[in-house]
Amino acid sequence: MHDDLIGKWELSRRRVLAGAAGLGLAGASGAAFGQGAGPWATPPKSKVDRVNFVVWTYGDIYARISKQFEADWGVKVDSTISSFNDHPTKLATMFAAGEKIDVSQSSPFSFPNFVNQGLAEPIDDLPGAADYIKDFTPFTKQVATIKGKTWGLPYFSAVWVWNYNTELLEKAKLDKPFATYEEFIEHCVKAKKDGVTRYPIMWVAGVGLEQLPGTWYQMTWNKGGMFFDKQGNHMLGAGSIARETLKWWANTFEKGLDIADPESLKVQFVGSAKAFGAGNNLYRGPNHHYTLNVANDPAQSPKAGKIKVLGSPGEGKTMGVTHVYFLSSANRDKDWAWKLLQYLGGKTKDGTYTQAIGLAKDAMLGSGYQSVMNSDAVRLGWAPWGDVPEILKIWDKAAYIGEVCSSVYQPWHFPWTDQLNIEVQKCLTGQITADQCCDNLIKGIADAKRKV
Amino acid sequence: MSAGQFAFFMNLPTLVCLGLVLAYPIGYAAYLSVHRVGLAQLRRGEFPFNEWENYSRVFEDPLFWVAIKNTLVFTAITVTSEIVLAVLIALLINQTSVWTSRLTRFLILLPYAIPPICNGLIWSFLYNFQFGFLNRILFTLGLSDTPINWAGNPDTALYAVTVPYIWRTLPFAIILIHAALQGIPRELYEQAAVDGARAWHRFWHITLPMLRQIIAIILILRTAFAFAVFEEILAITQGGPGDATWVSAWYSYKITFSPPNNFGMGSASAFILAVMIGVIALVYMRVVYRRVTL
Repeated sequence: MHDDLIGKWELSRRRVLAGAAGLGLAGASGAAFGQGAGPWATPPKSKVDRVNFVVWTYGDIYARISKQFEADWGVKVDSTISSFNDHPTKLATMFAAGEKIDVSQSSPFSFPNFVNQGLAEPIDDLPGAADYIKDFTPFTKQVATIKGKTWGLPYFSAVWVWNYNTELLEKAKLDKPFATYEEFIEHCVKAKKDGVTRYPIMWVAGVGLEQLPGTWYQMTWNKGGMFFDKQGNHMLGAGSIARETLKWWANTFEKGLDIADPESLKVQFVGSAKAFGAGNNLYRGPNHHYTLNVANDPAQSPKAGKIKVLGSPGEGKTMGVTHVYFLSSANRDKDWAWKLLQYLGGKTKDGTYTQAIGLAKDAMLGSGYQSVMNSDAVRLGWAPWGDVPEILKIWDKAAYIGEVCSSVYQPWHFPWTDQLNIEVQKCLTGQITADQCCDNLIKGIADAKRKV
Repeated sequence: MSAGQFAFFMNLPTLVCLGLVLAYPIGYAAYLSVHRVGLAQLRRGEFPFNEWENYSRVFEDPLFWVAIKNTLVFTAITVTSEIVLAVLIALLINQTSVWTSRLTRFLILLPYAIPPICNGLIWSFLYNFQFGFLNRILFTLGLSDTPINWAGNPDTALYAVTVPYIWRTLPFAIILIHAALQGIPRELYEQAAVDGARAWHRFWHITLPMLRQIIAIILILRTAFAFAVFEEILAITQGGPGDATWVSAWYSYKITFSPPNNFGMGSASAFILAVMIGVIALVYMRVVYRRVTL
């Protein structure tokens, strides 16, 4: 109990100091912070009594930014907030019902669909957009640019990293975490055999757009493979790296080495971080870096402080992703919608990337803006939860997920991913082989195209 | 005004309400199912007619047939279990001489008061592989030394989802059967007792025949509802692992509300489900209900 209190105090003290240092640097550092007057500070000529956004939930960030918008512009902000998985449904039904939507957000997987169906409007010609675009990271450029136009501003970015539990590593008498996949298997088998942990590895293999698929994409990419080439041809055929990776992955489950936690098949990013924080697994498979803020949060994790970040084997190739906010075509007033969009994904009236900086400091999220990524918001803001230089090193080796699986740019990627989730889970639970799984997925490409 | 006219006007409000609440959505779904309907079309209100294309796509989709198979298994298990359990429990709580029956009568209603989605979430915690209450009980009682992956194993997941569903909907059946039991004249049992009939014979020759009508109604209602199960699937398995718990309503939901939001195809699959439920209800009406009422 005493230790817990000290730990919490230490954490909050560090964060206060970090925050203070960040604020101290605010005046001097780059474009991430206030830049005085600019297009973001100019009020639109038109008048509205309210604006609204439709987003998925994340802490209290939306209540805070809405309050700031109302204080700055005297316009009420309505919000419709649902869970991540329910968001596309909520957005689709509101749009279909003819409701007004000024701003919404999207994962990169739904975004081409939203653009294709006319939900979003391009932002290239809007005041100040060119400055934002100049500051986009390469990930953001790849997500936000569709058909040669820019359709959104970044919400957050993340890269895939591995995690390990230092306490269990020590218990298993292992000097250092694995550096190759062979070592990974050796460690897991040893930890299980020695009774250190029944299930040494927790994968993120719950159904989702980037959870289960992301794990497979990441390991395939790390081993030198990909899912579709630039021309859109699949790379899932016999002997392909994706297929071999799936065979290897499935072998860690019950019907193979039985080293994978069965709960892996249900958990998403945060859920797996919470489960990993319980301390029953030695390693956690590739997942979004920011979930360290759950696994290393004393309020949420009994093993806080003992969870470390680890790069991927070999050259350390990994992948990353950026989610976006976009201007809805169902907006009530384009100028005000653009103003609101900037509060969520760009700069507030004072010229600061308020939301992006807040997300980095409070939630360990990466930014889609280069200037924020280079700022102390990241360097100091992330420090309470993880080894920042190590994560940034991993970041440098990350390619955008679209390079690994170019179908993310296609509207049929979404229904194909539905099938991928089903087939891969069947493979991991031993109902079908990896070969059957990949063959079914190859067949499924044409079916998915027909569904669009 | 004649009696017939009076009856017509008295029924009119109900007819209008049912028409708006039930007939209109079904009719609209039928209309959408033969048109190309995505988000953009819904927004514009222009739906290009595409004949039976949505239906043929649904019938060609192997996942649809998996969902139908799972729905039939789910319905068979839940409806049978509900009726058997409801009769047994209703007989127990009908024992007025046992004081605990009154308490049980009250407690039995509790699951019915829980919203379906909350019920699903409660059971997803109970089923949790490592930290679930169910596995903890098995450990404590020494019945198992390894945790059981109730909802995560493709061999058990569908059965695992039936339990919370039965738990939630059972009180409805119990209440109906209990009410029917109370309507059976006492004299029949007294006369049978005088004739020397044992408890089992009294149940088989008096209670069960007197309950057949209400059982037929429960059969119709519970089958229709079980066919449309959704909340427990959403909260516990989301169709997984793999396609082990994809049911018809989940299929329609995913097709409709996941990008690329094919409302036409989703409506077609939902309409097929509605037709199936209608056909089964008709069969029940003609076979079970008629036989009972004759």
